[in-house]
Amino acid sequence: MFIFALGPILELWVLVLLLREGMWREYTSFLLYVFWVFLGNSVILAAYLYFPSAYPEAQAASLYGSWYWHSDSIDVVLRFLVIWEVFHQTFPKGSGLNKSLSKGLGIISFILLVLACATFWGYQNYASLRSIHLALDRTFDFVQAVMILGTLLMARYYGVKCGRNIRGIALGFGAWVSLSTANNAMADLTRSFLPYWYYLRPWSFGFMLASWIWALWVYEPNPPIMESKITDLDRWTEDWNRTVSAARTIIRP
Amino acid sequence: MINLLIFLIMGLALFGSFIFIALQDSQRTSPDSSAVHAVGQIINLEGSSFADAKRLLDDTDYQALCSNPDLRRLAERLRSERRQLALMWVSLLQNDLITLWRFRRFLIQRGVPSSVKEELRTFQALLFSLVLLYFIRFSIHTAGPFALPRATRQAGQLVDSMSKGAALVLGRIPAAGWAEIERSWVKGAA
Repeated sequence: MFIFALGPILELWVLVLLLREGMWREYTSFLLYVFWVFLGNSVILAAYLYFPSAYPEAQAASLYGSWYWHSDSIDVVLRFLVIWEVFHQTFPKGSGLNKSLSKGLGIISFILLVLACATFWGYQNYASLRSIHLALDRTFDFVQAVMILGTLLMARYYGVKCGRNIRGIALGFGAWVSLSTANNAMADLTRSFLPYWYYLRPWSFGFMLASWIWALWVYEPNPPIMESKITDLDRWTEDWNRTVSAARTIIRP
Repeated sequence: MINLLIFLIMGLALFGSFIFIALQDSQRTSPDSSAVHAVGQIINLEGSSFADAKRLLDDTDYQALCSNPDLRRLAERLRSERRQLALMWVSLLQNDLITLWRFRRFLIQRGVPSSVKEELRTFQALLFSLVLLYFIRFSIHTAGPFALPRATRQAGQLVDSMSKGAALVLGRIPAAGWAEIERSWVKGAA
């Protein structure tokens, strides 16, 4: 019960931090997601309090269970807002890196999504409503974790620095979706894990919210990317071509 | 079943990656490059400015001389001279470390902010580096300059990391005040 109430409180806290100092203008997609999570979890909390099921096993069939899983399905899709926020804050629109990478990363993301849909479709052993949602959750959790990790690694590779806000959001979200992948797989793998799953799922979400609160505590956006001038790039291209031709001469004199 | 196991393993691996990145980011507080440059200008680091450590510890010449029985004595002389030079270099590195540590204390004494945790970490790094350098000196004394070439070469990195620590502290004060810091430091050292 405590964690059920703690969720909306932490989400409200994140919302307040975003609304303070107009941070929401900078992180609009993220605000939309947090607002959705707050709304969804508040309704779930109300359903849990006013329409509970007598037995935990029957919860999936109760109004609370139905709300929980249906909102979770919407949540799976809306989580892409967080990924979009991290990506477009790290590689802002109009920057050279965005122009160079967006097309390739878009194709990779599309392939990952197709892979996730195929994995979800191919999974035949849906014993219950919960199993369908667990499969949906873990396949998309996995894809989302890969996307966030890919963005962070790409940023590191090109020396793009992330501010506290985006770093905290990305790492908290990434850790949560990856842990959720493992947690949802384990819950389907053995039924004896279910009691732990019931605890791990809300608590890991609570930790993610706590990391978001830490991230948004002070306004620290990503520092702007320092782009090279066209003349520098031209000089670099000349040097590169000279090096390549020199290497070719050494290999094939 | 296999599908689930793959998701389980991949999920845990991804989780580990995120934790690893988070921990790495928390440790990485790299100083401003201008502060690093300023530290290099304020303090004369004799040991770490020596760039030919690789050549000093390379035993190719020694081996070439040893292969000729007539040149064995010359090889021994070369080895002995290299040992003296290597010992001198390591002792200069030790001096650099202590100078950097003193410079850091000087900055904090002048009111540059720092935390107890950071100070303890620096002191721990200093002790560890000094112990390692003493060990390298001992190995050069007993086994010669060519026994641990890689470890000896990398000893210079200990000074570099200490220098970055000092630069990190220096970077906390505006660049306009660095000239005054340099004057006071030189005056104090004289």
